[in-house]
Amino acid sequence: MNKKRIVISGLGMITPIGSGIESFWEAAVAGTNGVRPLQMFDASDFRTKTGGEVLDFNPDSWMSPQEQESMGRSSQFAVAAAQMALEDAKFDVSAHTPSRIGISMGTTMGEPQILEQGVKMKYASGNAGSIPAALPRQYPCGSIPANIARHFTITGPHIMIPTACAAGNYAIGYAYDMIQLGRIDFAIAGGSDPFSGIAFTGFNRLLATTPDVVRPFDKNRSGMAVSEGAGVLFIEELETAVKRGATIYAEILGYGLGCDAYKMTIPDPSGSGGIIALHRALRNSGKKITDIDYLCAHGTGTGENDKTETVIVKEVFGDHADKLCMSSLKSMFGHTMGAASAIEAAACALMLQRQTVLPTINYEEADPDCDIDCIPNTARPMQLTTVISNAYAFAGNTSSLVLGTLKE
Amino acid sequence: MKHNNIVISGIGTVSPLGKSLEEVSAALASPPASTEVQSWEFHTFDSPVSCRKITDFDPVAILGKKGLRNKDDATKLLLSAAELGFKEYLESSSEESRAGLCVGTAFGSVQSIGDFLSDSIVNGVNSVNPQLFANTVINAPTGNANIRYLARNLSTTISTGFNSGIDALIYAYDHLQQGYLDQIVTGGLDEISYYSLLGMQRSGVLSPTGSVRPFAADSDGTITGEGCALFMLENEASALDRGAEIYASITGCANGFDPACSGKVLAEVITNACTMAGIAATDIDFVASGGSGSPAGDRHEAAGIAAIFGATTPVTAYKSFTGECFGASGALAVICALADIRQDRISGIPAERYETIAPIGMVFGTVKKESTNVLLTSASCDGNCSALILRKIN
Repeated sequence: MNKKRIVISGLGMITPIGSGIESFWEAAVAGTNGVRPLQMFDASDFRTKTGGEVLDFNPDSWMSPQEQESMGRSSQFAVAAAQMALEDAKFDVSAHTPSRIGISMGTTMGEPQILEQGVKMKYASGNAGSIPAALPRQYPCGSIPANIARHFTITGPHIMIPTACAAGNYAIGYAYDMIQLGRIDFAIAGGSDPFSGIAFTGFNRLLATTPDVVRPFDKNRSGMAVSEGAGVLFIEELETAVKRGATIYAEILGYGLGCDAYKMTIPDPSGSGGIIALHRALRNSGKKITDIDYLCAHGTGTGENDKTETVIVKEVFGDHADKLCMSSLKSMFGHTMGAASAIEAAACALMLQRQTVLPTINYEEADPDCDIDCIPNTARPMQLTTVISNAYAFAGNTSSLVLGTLKE
Repeated sequence: MKHNNIVISGIGTVSPLGKSLEEVSAALASPPASTEVQSWEFHTFDSPVSCRKITDFDPVAILGKKGLRNKDDATKLLLSAAELGFKEYLESSSEESRAGLCVGTAFGSVQSIGDFLSDSIVNGVNSVNPQLFANTVINAPTGNANIRYLARNLSTTISTGFNSGIDALIYAYDHLQQGYLDQIVTGGLDEISYYSLLGMQRSGVLSPTGSVRPFAADSDGTITGEGCALFMLENEASALDRGAEIYASITGCANGFDPACSGKVLAEVITNACTMAGIAATDIDFVASGGSGSPAGDRHEAAGIAAIFGATTPVTAYKSFTGECFGASGALAVICALADIRQDRISGIPAERYETIAPIGMVFGTVKKESTNVLLTSASCDGNCSALILRKIN
């Protein structure tokens, strides 16, 4: 059976450096640092006081006050990013069969602010009866795609894949599968995570957070930054995108998943899971290693991750690793958790469309353990045909997504 | 949609009904009584709460002591179900070809997540045990299982509320149909936790009388349960090649979302699953529904079932035996349905006949019935709709 050609025809992103396509792209090309002293979250008791917050997100722009009250910040991000993607795709949901539209989302923490709010209320009042009856229902992470479905009156398959910080790639991959298998014709796919006090506490206690900025692949890298955001892609068959006259950013050529099966919080130093995911992504997309022009790294800026990712890339790409350039966008907006790979997939689509690769910022000193071309500090115009985006996660989850320019 | 024949060729479970297909089958004929819970490390309810907690669960007896440090109850449930169901397979399969994992859960390790948060509030953010942070990601149980069994081929978690168990099977089914893997161990998991119980209590869905009366016109709510059920899904040819016991094939599956909870989308989803299976709705021998006694969810599901089947096709609801097990419910319903198919029976509601909220063919008590096609449904008060069809293997 021939594979369908599936394309990205709409983008939506909410990030600490900018939300919406042009705002994001302008900031990213300029190498903007979105990791700053925290303003909305009280970090006074923590070792690290920086992170990536979306300070300019105004839910009033996207939904009624009543709807805002019914959902957490992660869902608000997701609905807003989905709206951006649908508008960008010029896709009118009401003009299509709602059961043929699917939703596939990923997250790390789901709606942690809801749990944090409820538990804090209980301790503050000494009484669980102070928790509003409507609050608990907003907590399960499955409410994120449900809120998108409710907002747009979409009745097709909807799924939440909470595979931690690789979740965006998993969700995009499953949306691709659902179209390939004929379950749906169109998909809203991506990831969303709000700033999480639980995650900030945990990463601080693991001493994994940077005290200032994120320096992926740099010899003096000092850790990751907890951030928030959302990324959503609108995905459809090439045929319908052409028929609708949509802007086609990129073609989804395939993806691959794997797992280190090593430790919950530390990657396998041999890169076992990442190697499996990359090999599968290449096989499923029908691409050779020499076809890959650019790799969007997981690149968290921790010692272990960046070293291991270099091992993975060198193992899979061999000599081609010397020609391959790979940057970490997390150097700019920090680690947006389950949203990260969805934002990065959207960024890859833009890089393919605009033939420019985005940089790794804050890069000062080369690390012999990370001897790759990481596009230091400055965006680089270059000819791009095929790119890969890596995303890794707690529990050793690994994923690689292959995107390409549209060829006849 | 292309359609390889996907079969269930392995079962592992830990549930209020037992720790094997045989124990579950026996418990359906003789349902266990409810239990009660009240206290956790950080929190206590004012009075005991009725539930279907697994009372004889001893993870050390199943798993041994090694590797259980810092593992929470949700993870221990999943590891135990995997160990009981797939130990032989795991020991004999090569790491390269070992099955992937795909687990549905509504809450993950929510007890760990909430306790980590509570600890940081009570004792300060710099006092929490960093080793426990790993348990706060929703996919922690699945990841721990991947690590324990060196399963590198897939680690996926699915979370669509009460539908998570069936939706995990659908994800695994699609992954196999795409040819990415040959075998996936998949199913559903959820623990009884303080936080999920509190959430249910504050939302007003727990039965004050501690009863579970699915689709009852006068139901006053539901009670919670816990458990894990896992299944090996693989192509029939692969199962036959390795001489595995085949329990049933999955011939159709579909899901959707109904913002209005009207039943229309569930009806469409059931129709889509039947179309995939190449059968008419009249070929369904009985419906294993997700009815729980929670009025909003039951109204939704009854409307969809009634629209397709009227009152003619028998309907049961295994949550009357297990309680609402959240993400485990759909998977536990699969194991109950497999038990009933094997015994040529339908385990109906273990109660005196009562009036239902819609005209559906509700079964009370155990009735004899030879079944070929069994439909599992789940429709939540949030709008989730899922359907999956099991076909008996002759």
